[in-house]
Amino acid sequence: MGGDLWSFCRTVKPVTRVRFWTLVGVLVCQFGLFEAALRIEGGSEAAPAFQRLFMSDTRMGYRLRPGARTRFRTASFETDIAINSSGTRDEEIGPKQPGERRIVVLGDSIVLSVQVPLEQTFCKRLEYRLNHDPASAPYRYRVINAGVQGYGPVEDWLFYEHVASRFDADVVLVALFVGNDAIEAADQSWRLRPASAGQTPGSVAVMGTPLRQVPAIAAAWMRRTVRRSMVLQIARLRVRSVTDRFLSGDPGIDRPLTAYLPQAPPDVVRGLAVTRECVSRIAALAGTLGSKTAVVLLPARFQVNDEDFAYLAREVAQHGEVLKRNGATDRFKRALDGLAIPVMDALPPLFDAPRRSETFFEDTVHLTPRGHQIVADALERFLFESQLLPSSGSKAVVNAGR
Amino acid sequence: MVFNSLQFVAFFLVVYGLYRLLPHRPQNWLLLVGSYYFYAAWDWRFLGLLVASTVIDFCCARYIASRQAPRDRKIALLVSISFNVSMLGFFKYFNFFADNLHALFGLVGWRLDFFTLRVLLPIGISFYTFITMSYVIDVYRRHIEPTRNFLDFAVFVAYFPHLVAGPILRASVLLPQIAAARRITREQNIEGAWLIGWGLFKKMFVADNLARVAGAVFAPAGHPSGLEVLLGVYAFAFQIYGDFSGYTDIARGVSKLMGIELNINFRSPYFVRTPQEFWQHWHISLSTWLRDYLFLPLSYAFSRRLDGVRWLGLRDDFWIYAAATMITMLIAGLWHGAAWNFVLWGAYQGLLLVLFTVPWGGRKRKRAGAAARRPFVRALGVLGMFHLTCLGWLIFRARSIAQIGALFGDLAGRFEPSGRVLAALGLPLLFYAGPLVAVHAFEAAHDDFAVVFRWPRIVRYNVYAALIYLIVLFGDFAGAQFIYFQF
Repeated sequence: MGGDLWSFCRTVKPVTRVRFWTLVGVLVCQFGLFEAALRIEGGSEAAPAFQRLFMSDTRMGYRLRPGARTRFRTASFETDIAINSSGTRDEEIGPKQPGERRIVVLGDSIVLSVQVPLEQTFCKRLEYRLNHDPASAPYRYRVINAGVQGYGPVEDWLFYEHVASRFDADVVLVALFVGNDAIEAADQSWRLRPASAGQTPGSVAVMGTPLRQVPAIAAAWMRRTVRRSMVLQIARLRVRSVTDRFLSGDPGIDRPLTAYLPQAPPDVVRGLAVTRECVSRIAALAGTLGSKTAVVLLPARFQVNDEDFAYLAREVAQHGEVLKRNGATDRFKRALDGLAIPVMDALPPLFDAPRRSETFFEDTVHLTPRGHQIVADALERFLFESQLLPSSGSKAVVNAGR
Repeated sequence: MVFNSLQFVAFFLVVYGLYRLLPHRPQNWLLLVGSYYFYAAWDWRFLGLLVASTVIDFCCARYIASRQAPRDRKIALLVSISFNVSMLGFFKYFNFFADNLHALFGLVGWRLDFFTLRVLLPIGISFYTFITMSYVIDVYRRHIEPTRNFLDFAVFVAYFPHLVAGPILRASVLLPQIAAARRITREQNIEGAWLIGWGLFKKMFVADNLARVAGAVFAPAGHPSGLEVLLGVYAFAFQIYGDFSGYTDIARGVSKLMGIELNINFRSPYFVRTPQEFWQHWHISLSTWLRDYLFLPLSYAFSRRLDGVRWLGLRDDFWIYAAATMITMLIAGLWHGAAWNFVLWGAYQGLLLVLFTVPWGGRKRKRAGAAARRPFVRALGVLGMFHLTCLGWLIFRARSIAQIGALFGDLAGRFEPSGRVLAALGLPLLFYAGPLVAVHAFEAAHDDFAVVFRWPRIVRYNVYAALIYLIVLFGDFAGAQFIYFQF
């Protein structure tokens, strides 16, 4: 084989060989230039500084690396991120103190919220409100942000099962992002199978994607190389988004948007069933640990932002389909119906908020500090009204007045 | 199936692989089947229209060529034109006229509830109806002989690279290439690969990224400052150019790989100094179509009516030109879309063309002509014309007549320089449009639209590498549709 290649190379004209190596040299030089430029200016999730926050995990695919710290900077924000020794973006979680009540919030990047400082996330705002609300007396509340970038319901369950169930929570809030959690649940449902049937022994997961049939050492080397380079990270994400769309069957409509169509495609239907399964597993385990469970449905930006919605509705209409603004939210509600778990829909408070277009960042799907504030306010009301937290008489009066 | 999708890559690889293996006639069958599949991938329901248009125009052209009596020939021509125009009129303009009729009757308190039919626009209908009409008219004028081979004609109409967004090819250019066996040269492969890469760059890096900048300014609920409007219009100018010329470049590149040459549709249109030059450089296939099949017949008709008139000190030739131009450009505006802002844009373009032909002062004009050859004055002229074009794009991009008024008001009345706006809109504009402008500046300066191939090898390699990195790192991979598909 090697001999064949060498003899082929020798047949190539010298001038062609020179041109080829010149082009390779130019590509390598420019690779270095773009890599340097991106590291200096271009803050994105592909940045090694951000990628260092994560580590591989055989159960969830990956998780936040305990003890990791970084400063994450993009054109829109700059935040310091610190991961505690339990692997959550929060302060250290020690033994529960007398009079302390804990709420653990499971979810994805919208819960993790690397776009804002920790104290501005809805978890910490909720904690602050509860601790300064006379209705909360005599308890002291701790709200633990257990969100991890890119997680879906399956990973939420696995993270709760293996990590967060040790946090001794009184309430477990499962934050579901209706924009893509059904799709993610469908894609990751294989993780729910027993370990022997799930991941092939010797294979390695790269950000949740198992690279089956690839020798473990080569895959690990490739993963390390890609993680160290911003150019390669971005290229990997591009390849994945294009192939995802290609494989999705309907090249026209983005997969997550199919959850908002009047007729949901089979993978969305399957994803909703998987979500229901994951939530019921979390609730069952939480119940055995003495915790209550609730679900928070977080909307996609276009459900709140009229301009985004109009744009996407037009895009979808070009394929002869109709985009229903609350389509995915309603589907999640129906999917969770009958589990006897309180469900809070965060769409109405965000939609009814003055200047609602300012509740999400312009260039990402994440909540701004204002959006976090609105969600925290709504969550506090929800926790008391659904009796997930014991409310004193004064709070009940306040709630009755609303 | 857009050019910037993996679906198209897979489709083209299959078609191209087979194409290279097959001899000439089976190649044409392959092109026809592939083109119909390409069209059906958008919406198979409208494939019937494409086939009907092909059959009717093929038959009409054959009939015209077989008859000597002018009356018979004219009837066949009218049948062809009526079919194409009524098909275009129904699918493209039914909703527009129905809505306006509603509004008109609504003014006097009448309600017309029976006009509730919502008609979908078949993709590419404006392009292929113009292509088939030009064929029949050329046969009628005896400019070309009609083809006897239906397969060749069907491939000419449906040829997938130009089917949904042009260029609007003439039969005299494409049919001979389809009818004859094709030989693919090394130069065609190199130029084809470059055009595909350059087109993808224009679409994915320039147009799709600037769409966000322009979209933010033209949002219906927005109330932008004058500076934001200006930067948003600049962004749209490069967005629409990158989008449309990018499509054409990919179409030409794909065709070159198959040994077929398509016409150039854009020649650095923002480096011109007059509206006349602009239309010689922008969407050339449409402007020449309009010139040959609309403007010249109209001019001929008006010349008989306006012969010898002299109004406002201007001779008859000016008024003939003005009348024909205004009608042509109003129709050009309406061709772009069934909305009043397109009609207004057509009127604006017509007015510019007319105003630039007014003979403003004889001797002064000669002196101005001499001065115009100086580089600085030329640059000023280019800059001025670019801004006149941008005013047109504001009208074109706006969602309603009311928004046009509001944006002009913001532009004139709320012009507040702001570092924040420059950083948010100006920097992305510079980043995404800068490389495109630089290459076109070279092309315009050397009057050479393949200047890249004349650059030293090391420079070319750097350009190729930079294009790849810019597309991969900053390109939009969402597979957005091309703007001109809706026209």
